[in-house]
Amino acid sequence: MATLTMVQAIARTLAEEMERDERVVVLGEDVGRRGGVFLATEGLLDRFGPERVIDTPLSEAAIIGAAVGMAAHGLRPVAEIQFADYIFPGFDQLATQAAKLRYRSGGQFTAPMVVRMPSGGGVRGGHHHSQSPEAHFAHTAGLKVVVVSTPYDAKGLLKAAIRDDDPVLFLEPKRLYRATREEVPDDDYLVPIGKAAVRRQGTDLTLIGYGTSMPEVLKAGDELAKAGVSAEILDLRSLVPWDIEAVTRSVAKTGRVVLVADAPRLSSVLGEIAATIAEELFDQMLAPPVRVAGFDTPYPYAQDKLYLPTVTRILNAAKHVLEY
Amino acid sequence: MVHETLPVMGTEWFRPFTEQSIALLNEEGEWIGDFPLDLEEALLRQLYRDMLAVRLMDERFTVLLRTGKISFTAPIAGHEAAQVGVAHALRRGHDWLFPYYRDYGLALALGVPPVEIFGQMLATKADLAKGRQMPCHPNSRVLNIFAAASTVASHIPPATGAALSMKLRRTGQVAVCTFGDGATSEGDWYAAINFAAVQQVPAVFVCENNHYAISVPLSCQTATRTIAEKAHAFAIPGYHVDGMDVLATLYVVREAIERARAGHGPSLVELVVYRYGPHSSADDDTRYRPREEVELWRRRDPLARYQRFLARRGLWSEEWEQQLRDEIAQELAQAIEAAEHAGEVPAEWMFDDVYAEPLWHLERQRALLRAELQ
Ligand SMILES: Cc1ncc(C[n+]2csc(CCOP(=O)(O)OP(=O)(O)O)c2C)c(N)n1
Ligand SMILES: [Mg+2]
Repeated sequence: MATLTMVQAIARTLAEEMERDERVVVLGEDVGRRGGVFLATEGLLDRFGPERVIDTPLSEAAIIGAAVGMAAHGLRPVAEIQFADYIFPGFDQLATQAAKLRYRSGGQFTAPMVVRMPSGGGVRGGHHHSQSPEAHFAHTAGLKVVVVSTPYDAKGLLKAAIRDDDPVLFLEPKRLYRATREEVPDDDYLVPIGKAAVRRQGTDLTLIGYGTSMPEVLKAGDELAKAGVSAEILDLRSLVPWDIEAVTRSVAKTGRVVLVADAPRLSSVLGEIAATIAEELFDQMLAPPVRVAGFDTPYPYAQDKLYLPTVTRILNAAKHVLEY
Repeated sequence: MVHETLPVMGTEWFRPFTEQSIALLNEEGEWIGDFPLDLEEALLRQLYRDMLAVRLMDERFTVLLRTGKISFTAPIAGHEAAQVGVAHALRRGHDWLFPYYRDYGLALALGVPPVEIFGQMLATKADLAKGRQMPCHPNSRVLNIFAAASTVASHIPPATGAALSMKLRRTGQVAVCTFGDGATSEGDWYAAINFAAVQQVPAVFVCENNHYAISVPLSCQTATRTIAEKAHAFAIPGYHVDGMDVLATLYVVREAIERARAGHGPSLVELVVYRYGPHSSADDDTRYRPREEVELWRRRDPLARYQRFLARRGLWSEEWEQQLRDEIAQELAQAIEAAEHAGEVPAEWMFDDVYAEPLWHLERQRALLRAELQ
């Protein structure tokens, strides 16, 4: 058992998967000699050579599109997009090719591939190094979407993503890459796609979050506990598919829910979950679902910290549903 | 005719970047190659049969459209030599083809059963892709024909990726990717060929240059004189070929494929063709193409030229022509009937193949639709 940061856990997991299955190859910008700009592919080139650790031209369309063809031909590519913000030049390949290959061919061709990308704000990156574009992916049928928030999950979910038979978008909150260390088992464990984690048991209200905002959600839970409020906390981990059982089980119990994430509020994944809660549990709710999300502005630079859902904002929302 | 027996890279014969398009037959059907024609008579005749089958199939598409049975077609006529030549240049079922929406002639010549083609056109159960796409989208896992997508040029990066996998796994395969002249303006086109060239993957990029992207003429598409010369930007060979000459197409593309297979990297082949029909059944080409221009190219009909070539060699006769037409017409009629007979695609198939395993939200939606339909 090693104590690792999230980014270290990712690098180790990639090495383990490449060791386990020679079909696994890594491609992206600077993933070779440099080991990735965040060092998520550190050491892979020396260990596996340039045929399996491919420094690509600076073209997200080429990276994702080539990954589709590699996957269709039998490899298990793991593509790195240097920042989630740079997915857009490759978005067509995701939406047109990766997401629809299985469907449009009637299951004859598939694209089992992973697209990893650092996402989210809080690192003073301005609007082109801070976005959380998961809603774009979630809105595109055929893609699976996960967002990790701990080193342990990063390993287990990355393994599950690499072994999955569909394209998986793997979002890594860059703010959490080195924020904490955690004991990460050496063994070959999987965290299944589609399962939320209960981070804290509670009875008075449910806080649902994922990714970049999880530290604030957990802090809000601590504050509420100090005030005598028992909050149950769910870390979604997977957005497509999202864990409807865990969500409805918890919210049916507490009758109150606050949903938190840093992505913009309009057309967000949180909105979909809130709507589903309202549809399914309306008569058991003690208050309407409330969202604490990013603002619907492009991600700002100077107000980096203000943009992200703060503990205060989460507590205010909690107060609102508790006093409703 | 531009042809040299230069022993460059082992297999090199044809010279890239020629001013004039590479041709091996003149309009009278005379062989103008300066090397001996080394194709067997059976193959020479098969090429004609395949081109005729493509022409007649294309005509059936139009009939099906007029009778309201299909919603769309992208006419092939004028592209037959190019598509049949490419089909015979690759190793069927071994090499991969990444086609676009005008390539049903290529699919047919590669051996896709006509019933599957008409099944796809009609969106019946005879379609291996389960009626998921509008007409004119070839696909066949068995024959390694990657399922076509409508989005122009989007299949080119996947072709590079497959070729990268072929290189890495040393399968001895080649990825052949076809597209129109308009596709060469997309970023994906550049990104894909650039990556392929950097990695020296076994791929051949084939442009069916019919001078128009719907109504937009080549002069508005690119400032270069040829498509082939764009290969300079990637440091790979670019061949400017008469794509209405089936033999020139076959020889040049085959050389490019074998060159790629031998590990010498990708190339770009431009096949100069002309489409006789409108861009699609939704288009009216009289708005942008002078009839004289169409007539001029009609006089260069790829089938007529090749027929003259065969006739000169005693390989073509009126009787044989009639026999072929009858045979093909019967095959097509049977295929249409079988495709229709296969029956409609069930509504619930809509929810299959979005993911490998059904996800809960889709299963809920499936149940909703099922209830609605009962
Ligand atoms: C990305 C994209 N933009 C626009 C279209 C609409 N469209 C369909 S075919 C076409 C012209 C393509 O011309 P070309 O590549 O020369 O192929 P051709 O049809 O002439 O064989 C256009 C603009 C599309 N399918 N995809
Ligand atoms: Mg064209």
